[in-house]
Amino acid sequence: MSGHTDGLRPPLAAASRSLFGKAIQTLSRVSDDLWLDPSEKGLALRAVNSCHSTYGYILFSSLFFQHYQWSPSATMRDNDIPMNLNCKLAIKSILPIFRCLNYLEKSVEKCKIVSRLDKCRVVFQFFCKHGIKRTHNVYFQDSQPLKILFEKSLCANILMIRPRLLTEAIVLLTSNQEEVTFSVTPGNFCLKSSSGESLDLSSSVYSEMSFDPEEFDFFQVGLDTEITFCFKELKGILSFSEVMHVPLSIYFDFPGKPVVLSMDDMLLEANFILATLSDHPSRVSSPQSQSLCLSQALRRTEPTQSSAQVGQSQASQAPESISRAAPKRLFPKDPLDSSCATETKRASTNQDDISEVPESVVSDMEEGPGPSQLRKFSCMFFGAVSSQQQEYASHPLDSLAIASDSEEDWDTDRLERAGLRVPAAMVSQSQGIQQMLQAEKPVAKKVSEARK
Amino acid sequence: MKFRAKIVDLACLNHFTRVSNMIAKLAKTCTLRISPEKLNFILSDKLASGGVSMWCELEQENIFSEFQMEGVSAENNAIYLELTSENLSRALKTAQNARALKIKLTNKHFPCLTVSVELLSSSSSSRIVTHDIPIKVIPRRLWKDLQEPSVPDSDVSIYLPALKTMKSVVEKMKNISNHLVIEANLNGELNLKIETELVCVTTHFKDLGNPLLSSESASQSRHPEDMAEVHIDIKKLLQFLAGQQVTPTKAVCNIVSNRIVHFDLLLEDISLQYFIPALS
Repeated sequence: MSGHTDGLRPPLAAASRSLFGKAIQTLSRVSDDLWLDPSEKGLALRAVNSCHSTYGYILFSSLFFQHYQWSPSATMRDNDIPMNLNCKLAIKSILPIFRCLNYLEKSVEKCKIVSRLDKCRVVFQFFCKHGIKRTHNVYFQDSQPLKILFEKSLCANILMIRPRLLTEAIVLLTSNQEEVTFSVTPGNFCLKSSSGESLDLSSSVYSEMSFDPEEFDFFQVGLDTEITFCFKELKGILSFSEVMHVPLSIYFDFPGKPVVLSMDDMLLEANFILATLSDHPSRVSSPQSQSLCLSQALRRTEPTQSSAQVGQSQASQAPESISRAAPKRLFPKDPLDSSCATETKRASTNQDDISEVPESVVSDMEEGPGPSQLRKFSCMFFGAVSSQQQEYASHPLDSLAIASDSEEDWDTDRLERAGLRVPAAMVSQSQGIQQMLQAEKPVAKKVSEARK
Repeated sequence: MKFRAKIVDLACLNHFTRVSNMIAKLAKTCTLRISPEKLNFILSDKLASGGVSMWCELEQENIFSEFQMEGVSAENNAIYLELTSENLSRALKTAQNARALKIKLTNKHFPCLTVSVELLSSSSSSRIVTHDIPIKVIPRRLWKDLQEPSVPDSDVSIYLPALKTMKSVVEKMKNISNHLVIEANLNGELNLKIETELVCVTTHFKDLGNPLLSSESASQSRHPEDMAEVHIDIKKLLQFLAGQQVTPTKAVCNIVSNRIVHFDLLLEDISLQYFIPALS
């Protein structure tokens, strides 16, 4: 890859600047790092949290900018697929730049973002009132952005609601809940705070609030289900969608499969994919079945050595889980951190072997009396490990969501030989994204039709 | 055991919410006693509370438009529940502009007090929010510890000054010393004193007035200038004062020399009694 000057150069127009700033702020709640991923469609910002349970993707279309220029610096050797700008910025570096939204709207007249690959940095220039020009040079790390392919349109349940309604409702739930549950039937939508599983007095209050389907702009429930995910993330996402002034679309299925919260207007598309708790009451006893996060190294495996394993794991496509600690504390820091740490280590060592990461199981799992269920969090990006989890084998989607790796050469034949049926959306990297985006359009249309 | 009650009047609801907020500040965990005529919030003088006890009583018909209860048995027609006070006050806080509020005893997986609020949502359809507050039912054998404390024969009885003023004084004193002396006489004078090696600080309140005493009272023969005093833990006094958000209708302080200080407040129709024992 030769040295190269301008990867992208989008000056931002008036009110868009604060929206851009708000997008960065919202993603800063997800992760400490942000990928800047320009393409001919526009500039995408991506972030994933350390435990890989939340993924944020905000795409600013080229029309969002007054002027957008992107040229691929080089193409991949074989396939003529343009290489991405592998640009990962530390949130710490750019959040202060975009922190004051008011300032961005009022005092800044123009904002220019230029990437300079030769110097490994992105330049943010603010042309402010009174002839003041502020330039920020932010160094970036060379890192492949994580791209998640997810078929929103295949979800059984699709809801669309004005974010204000949800925000008002959230306020009424007690504030110290860590998780929130959406419970749907064709006639009803219920918002619940996490159910306390301990019989202790100090366990939190369980709150519940119902919404009539009439209150939604679009209400399609194909599957009666209850999904639980991180409350904190929901709050951040709602606040961003209110700024966008478009309804919030929610796509989900069975527990364990990630929920997608997305907002779409003509210039800007935001998607947040959140892992949901899966319900496996039978799994309590055996630590072995509590499978773990696989690193991205999975993708780089030698086909010969591990195709069988890949095949098996992907075929069973049950969500893999990080087992939970005592139910009272729903986000056990320590076990989760250790699994994440191991995971990142694996990613960097690029191991070919899909040997399991040392378990993050917490042995003091409480199984309270009564129907309290052990809940496990799904790590949504990767295929299953345990062969025991076969329940979802019949489900059409092989994996919940697949991380695409642009350096990968997805050899469909090879994968099929391994016994894996490749979903239509996932053929080769760039095609895969195109397909996914195309696949999403019909849904968008359906939703906008419903709006009328 | 059954309990269900309903509040439809907004003023009553706000009043009940205020009481619940106060209780949440006074005691982290407390006992709720439900009887046919009354509701009581009780904190008994266990070691956990450091000897402090509290008895708050409200007449149910002043608050609830509907009230039905069935106690443990016919002879023991009461229900004693233990709950985390903050859970109740937070749940009530969501009912600020509610049309109606219902409370009932339920058993969903574990015993709960279910607070169900009917709100008018912005889309003008009413929305129901329910909160299940986990509780523990207190068995009958422990009821004897949770009875109304007997009001001791006090040496001095005096009306309290403005509680906000007392609170700001005690707050500052807390930084200097851990215990405080509260003393009062029958001449309407009350002092708050702290003493360390380096400094003594006394705040004097005058012209407070003393409630009329009954004729058998021990303090009949007492000289009006004589101070009755108690050494107490300053944090306990501060906790009591911090819980008072509203000006009470009536506030009396009864002191039994070197034994206990008893605060007797009336907040409209709700009575609160708070006992702080002397430091041993």
